[in-house]
Amino acid sequence: MAIVIQFKEEGRRKKEEGRRKKEKITIIFRLPIPNSQLPITNYQLPIPHYRDMENTADNPQEEIPADMLYLKPKFKISWQVIFAILMFFYMYLPILVLTFYSFNKSRFSAGWEGFTLDWYVKLFSDTRILVALRNSLTVAICAVAISAVLGTLMAVGLSRYRFPGKSWYQGVAYLPIIIPDIASAVATLVFLAALAIPLSLWTIVAAHIVFCLAYIALAVSTRLADLNPSLEEAALDLGATPVQAFIQVLLPQLLPGIVSGCLLAFVLSMDDFLIASFTAGSGTTTLPMEIFSRIRTGVKPDINALSVLLMVGSGGLAFAAEYLRGRSDQKRAN
Amino acid sequence: MAVSTKAPPPIPPNSPSKSETVSPWSSWAGPLALLGPSGLWLALLLVVPTIVIFQLSLVPNIKPGDLVIPSGIDNYLRVFEPLNLQVIGRSVFFATGTTILCLVLGFPVAYWIALNVSPKWRNLTLLGFVLPLWTSSLLRSYAWITILRPTGVLNSVLALVGIPPLELLNQSSAVLIGMAYSYLPYIVTILYASLEKLDRRLLEASQDLGANPVETFWQVTVPQTMPGIAAGSLLVFISCLGDFVDPELLGGASSMTAARLIYNQFLGATQNWGLGSALSMVLIFAVSIGIALLLKYGDRNTI
Amino acid sequence: MPPTNLPISRFSRANSTRRQFLKNSAATISGLALSSCGWRLADVQSAPPVKGNADQLFIYTWAGYTDKALLDRFAEKTGIRVVADVFDSNEAMLARVQAGGGRAYSIIYPSDYMVIQMKELGLLSQLDHSILGGIDRLKKQFQNPVYDPGNRYSVPLSWGTTGLIYNSEQLKEAPEDWDYLWKHKQELTRRMTLANDVREVMGAALRMLGYSLNSTNPEEVRNAYEKLVELKPAIASFTTDAWRPQMLTGDLKVAMCYSSDANEVIPDNDKLRYVVPKSGSSLWTDTLVIPKGAPNPEAAYKWINFMLQADVAASLVERLSFSTPSEDAFSLLTPEVRDNEILFPSEATLKNCEGVAPVGKFIDVYDRYWTKLTSG
Repeated sequence: MAIVIQFKEEGRRKKEEGRRKKEKITIIFRLPIPNSQLPITNYQLPIPHYRDMENTADNPQEEIPADMLYLKPKFKISWQVIFAILMFFYMYLPILVLTFYSFNKSRFSAGWEGFTLDWYVKLFSDTRILVALRNSLTVAICAVAISAVLGTLMAVGLSRYRFPGKSWYQGVAYLPIIIPDIASAVATLVFLAALAIPLSLWTIVAAHIVFCLAYIALAVSTRLADLNPSLEEAALDLGATPVQAFIQVLLPQLLPGIVSGCLLAFVLSMDDFLIASFTAGSGTTTLPMEIFSRIRTGVKPDINALSVLLMVGSGGLAFAAEYLRGRSDQKRAN
Repeated sequence: MAVSTKAPPPIPPNSPSKSETVSPWSSWAGPLALLGPSGLWLALLLVVPTIVIFQLSLVPNIKPGDLVIPSGIDNYLRVFEPLNLQVIGRSVFFATGTTILCLVLGFPVAYWIALNVSPKWRNLTLLGFVLPLWTSSLLRSYAWITILRPTGVLNSVLALVGIPPLELLNQSSAVLIGMAYSYLPYIVTILYASLEKLDRRLLEASQDLGANPVETFWQVTVPQTMPGIAAGSLLVFISCLGDFVDPELLGGASSMTAARLIYNQFLGATQNWGLGSALSMVLIFAVSIGIALLLKYGDRNTI
Repeated sequence: MPPTNLPISRFSRANSTRRQFLKNSAATISGLALSSCGWRLADVQSAPPVKGNADQLFIYTWAGYTDKALLDRFAEKTGIRVVADVFDSNEAMLARVQAGGGRAYSIIYPSDYMVIQMKELGLLSQLDHSILGGIDRLKKQFQNPVYDPGNRYSVPLSWGTTGLIYNSEQLKEAPEDWDYLWKHKQELTRRMTLANDVREVMGAALRMLGYSLNSTNPEEVRNAYEKLVELKPAIASFTTDAWRPQMLTGDLKVAMCYSSDANEVIPDNDKLRYVVPKSGSSLWTDTLVIPKGAPNPEAAYKWINFMLQADVAASLVERLSFSTPSEDAFSLLTPEVRDNEILFPSEATLKNCEGVAPVGKFIDVYDRYWTKLTSG
């Protein structure tokens, strides 16, 4: 096996034209080697701050020596970019429609009748919607927070231990994903009523934890399957207790899985209508319940305005978080 | 990571160094601590309601207020009548069509983000793709009506270009478009996670060995990302089976799906909770068997 | 040994555990299911009544029937804070109430046929007419309605008809009856919608054929179903609310809708008109009821009196676009609203209209035809 390290120059970026060239180091292996037999490259690369770049492959054709003519990939890449842009457009088309109608004077999503910001103003004075939004956020945050803990523990436990009834447990753990919402909602309500548990916001949280658990466990177990177990073993060998090894070695490795699971669960919880409408106490409405009921009277554009604001707000938060994370990564690398 | 840096104590020859310990009590502490809380929660709020549904499905013509004594499988016999089977078949058709469409549309996007976008922008691009999920799915489905109706956005744009208007709304095509739209972000995220772990050196190696891009794709990329493809398809398929909003809004007059049928039994005029429960159990069993088969013949990595 | 990375041995072991799992689960499930300790499903009756706050009132209503101004006015007048939860269909409301989720409500807004059903299920408490003011000043047709003789359990709040809203510009001749849809099937292909309600749609076909809206004659219902199958290829979709923007933009030429909805939409496009078919249609009434075991009956009575108050009812007609059954309120309306044919149709128009009534076990037959119709 021969390792050839070459310095290369990168061409232009995909999205922005005319950027400056950048240097990077690539390691090219001449023979395919199964992933599990490779040494952990994190510990072996002599130049640490290129560590997270060894996995990139921006312009395949640029890594191939000039004597192999390769015009096709270049064409292939711009085709990919066009397709990706089309898909982005597909994703945002309904959002654009919603935004358009949130500025429309007409109450119905019909013709354009003039620009107005009235609906946004109306939104802020509509206490029902704002209370519903607050309830939805409370439910989602609580459910996701608790499920993150329970789900991670469950995923780790399932991947690690063998015990009688394990397949039972696994089946039950992923049941929420399969069961139709309506059946689960009615059954949960019947069950709660039989035990005379009063319905409230917290019964919604309890019901949401059930499916959030499943999705987070799924995401974490996906991540677990690809982890290298030798790190944790190394920690235990070095004298850490199992709890310490878990918290300080395993958890950080699992973090991407946990985060993606939490995001998925959060979105699903915010959007759930059936389960919430059946397990909600009186006087507690969540946002989807409110939207569902208003749709019967023709969706008023103030809900469109709310959706636009929610998306812009969460997008802004997410981009800010990502930007800060990128900055801190850079700082750590320097 | 932050492992203790003091000199390790000398390890006695017979003391265990892994997570498994000798004493029977402490061998239960680990699993109990990890699996206990969630197990309890699931048992209470999932297993018991499922048993409730199962019991209800075994009582023909049960109405609220009746005594629940399992007495017959009439409800199941009714589920397998041609009428209801047709409805289930339509659900499966929509689900399969949507899954295929999502795969076809989502894979290139995930591929592009994972492999061809520089790492600095990768997360942001993915986030940007997934952001529409933050709006209510119901609103987005209603927006599709606005887009696809005869004088809607799509046809207005086509008219500008000179193409005759497309009659897409109130047909299966609109349902597939709408449902694929709803679930595309999920599958892109899962495929992205899988593709990000793809070892590019394998791709380069295969190119070095003389394969063209198409061959590389089918013989290297796809097998490597099979766990992600399987997990994503499964997720989309199951979610589509439970979706009753999109087919009803976009599908026109012949759009009864299994999910809507179950909804009608519980929340409709007939109040046939028994039939609704039986339909739910049939769906659950069918999907479980599907998953079991998938696990048996597929890769075990994701579940 | 950490068990995570030996796929082959995992498969074979998993196979045997899966077989065991299936065996075990079959045994347990059949055990649980066939346990003869029967429990009563959704036993709302035996649940003890919840005592609530004296200054809080929970009501369960339709989405368009309350707004902030109304609730504030009530709070101002009586000092009671009202919290309104909404439902979008009678059946969903009934399912929730029966499953035990309705015990906090002191006022519910069922429709007429639902009142009959709830009465039979023993969910309603009788109203004390001595406390209710204004109940004797209703329009004649609502003083002793078919669904609740003597208004013993319910108080009518709003009423209306189901009919056809059409675009007079796009149609050569104006529809007058249901058979217009069949006669002009070609012209209306995929430009017409019907309501997403089994009783309304089947009822329309039944009336067109001259039968009663609440027929329990299998032959008649089958004929109605076959008529609908004939019309099916021309129907764009079954929807109760998504027709609104499409009617306004001209994507739809005819839609089946409720009079209160039509009245809301028509001002936005003056080419739209509403008609109640000549052979008859359904006449619906939304009512107020006090469920048994209501936490705050005094506040509930105050609410009913408030809604029956003439000026309140009149302002609601104008703001929220529904017809009031109260004669007093009617007299307070402006002549323009009083002459609104949509909200207050003439006696002649209402001659053939019937209210939807429960059909008992026959609803199964209706439901089967509906499933056939929407999945064919």
